Amino acid sequence: MINVGKIKQYSNVLERPLSKGKQEVSLSAFAFLFSELVQYNQTQVDNITELERRLEDAGYAVGARILELLCHREKGNRRETRLLGILSFVHSTVWKVLFGKSKVLSLGGVGCMGTSRLRVGSCNVGSLMGKSIELVKILQKRKVSIALGGYLVVEVRSVNDRLMAIKLVVGGLTFNVVNAYAPHAGLDEEVKRHFWEDLDEVADSLEKGTEHEDEYMISEKELLVNRFISIPKDMGAFNCGAFVAGIVRGVLENAGFPAVVTAHFVPVEGQHRPRTTILIKFAEEVLRREATLG
Amino acid sequence: MAPVVPRSGDAIFANVERVNAELFTLTYGAIVRQLLTDLEEVDEVNKQLDQMGYNIGIRLIDEFLAKSNVSRCVDFKETAEVIAKVGLKMFLGITATVTNWDVEGTTCSLILEDNPLVDFVELPDTCQGLYYCNILSGVVRGALEMVSMKTEVTWLRDMLRGDDAFELQLKLLKQVPEEYPYKDDE
Amino acid sequence: MAAIYSLYVINKSGGLIFCKDYGSAGKMDTNDSLRLASLWHSMHAISQQLSPVNGCAGIELLQADTFDLHCFQSLTGTKFFVVCEPGALHMESLLKYIYELYTDYVLKNPFYEMEMPIRCELFDINLSQAVQKDRVALLGR
Repeated sequence: MINVGKIKQYSNVLERPLSKGKQEVSLSAFAFLFSELVQYNQTQVDNITELERRLEDAGYAVGARILELLCHREKGNRRETRLLGILSFVHSTVWKVLFGKSKVLSLGGVGCMGTSRLRVGSCNVGSLMGKSIELVKILQKRKVSIALGGYLVVEVRSVNDRLMAIKLVVGGLTFNVVNAYAPHAGLDEEVKRHFWEDLDEVADSLEKGTEHEDEYMISEKELLVNRFISIPKDMGAFNCGAFVAGIVRGVLENAGFPAVVTAHFVPVEGQHRPRTTILIKFAEEVLRREATLG
Repeated sequence: MAPVVPRSGDAIFANVERVNAELFTLTYGAIVRQLLTDLEEVDEVNKQLDQMGYNIGIRLIDEFLAKSNVSRCVDFKETAEVIAKVGLKMFLGITATVTNWDVEGTTCSLILEDNPLVDFVELPDTCQGLYYCNILSGVVRGALEMVSMKTEVTWLRDMLRGDDAFELQLKLLKQVPEEYPYKDDE
Repeated sequence: MAAIYSLYVINKSGGLIFCKDYGSAGKMDTNDSLRLASLWHSMHAISQQLSPVNGCAGIELLQADTFDLHCFQSLTGTKFFVVCEPGALHMESLLKYIYELYTDYVLKNPFYEMEMPIRCELFDINLSQAVQKDRVALLGR
């Protein structure tokens, strides 16, 4: 035979060198494949819950394999054994490889673990456009940990023009920072009342967040798998992100961190499209083990 | 309109949004695994993969036409070349060689130079009859059908089954004439 | 006033699968829209038959006193047409861009059934942005 393809033949898959993971296909190819995955699974189910479960199962299979692959290729065969380590692995390494960017992750309460010194700075930057490098330099100089700490995890919630809540973890401690810009005396009573109501609400919600110490969230403006998908009105809160939730569960469970992982739409004020939040709730045993390890 | 057919899909592939091929490969693997669980019989899986490919093909052709600037091909030879050099490149980042033409110019083979579907894959003993890449043949068949070409697309060689290449045979069965699809009941 | 009055998409068997008004002018009720779609579908086909030139692809532009109608038919038989102000520019590019939006937000949506009416939120959102006057002007570049 004259025309032989360029692919080398190996007698078995293990002899084939592991790819470097630099190869790409078009987003469209993936989108069509994913769309067909959803369409096929729709023919196999009677209801939305089942569809979600099947998509999650498909994702789980991907997650289990991506864990093996990445531990081998990126981590020199080492696997994270601590909770924050594996979470960081998910939202940075896994996210980056699969979706091309790392992701900010937000956490529920973690509880106090040791002491650490935290330096907080506040600076007035008129516009961040083009100034981010400059800003980082200043912050580095002043050792402001919140902007660049070795390990930090943030949830940013912009309530309105005057209120903003940030949640972060520095050295094992969870911090809730609420930045408020109170209305000045000259403004309407109405504005002031609104401000205080909103502030109350923010404070309440923070307390609620810390009740769930075993819950962690990865929030994404638009999941890659959802890029081209409009959910029909009659499907309610169904989210194809169940597939991604499955991937996360596949990674976590096979790394020894069993968890329930779900995908939810979260409406964003002033936006047509809701965000998707991947909610991770670890099994009790994981938290107990984590507590024992100290 | 003079047909200007791009000879290569490199420029298009460079300009479209891309994703890591491993996400694609592993997702495809998850689909095959689901089918094996749902359908049990390998033959049924082969059929379903082909059907799913067909479903993709009838949608994907429009994206191909919209983003490649390829217009009508003059003959089947050109069509095969466009699939091998532009189509495969634009979506999968790979190309193929067109070869083994028959005298009539209606049957040929595409020999893939790479195949992102099969990374990490080895067929276990229980799945020896599986045409793992059958989705791809379905895509080509579906896509061509939407531009009035009835084809039969089959894998002649498959490296997962011990052959020395991935060879996809394209056979043109019928070119539906470009006339208005009038039907009395519509 | 927007330069574009309305946009229609017709499937390959002549059924209206999408229709949206963007201006205040030239609004039509559902029945009229359906009638216009099937009428245009037939006229388009007749024009192909009537054309003295071989391989004619059908009417691309219809000019009237009060509007222009630009039509694009894909090789797969789906027709897209816009009704716009007389003399509005860059309509071919706009139609081509709308075709791309269709391949992204309609065809890649697992909940869309081929040849059926298009109900895809993302398609609507992206279309409304595309038909903005300043956006259309950019297409001309």
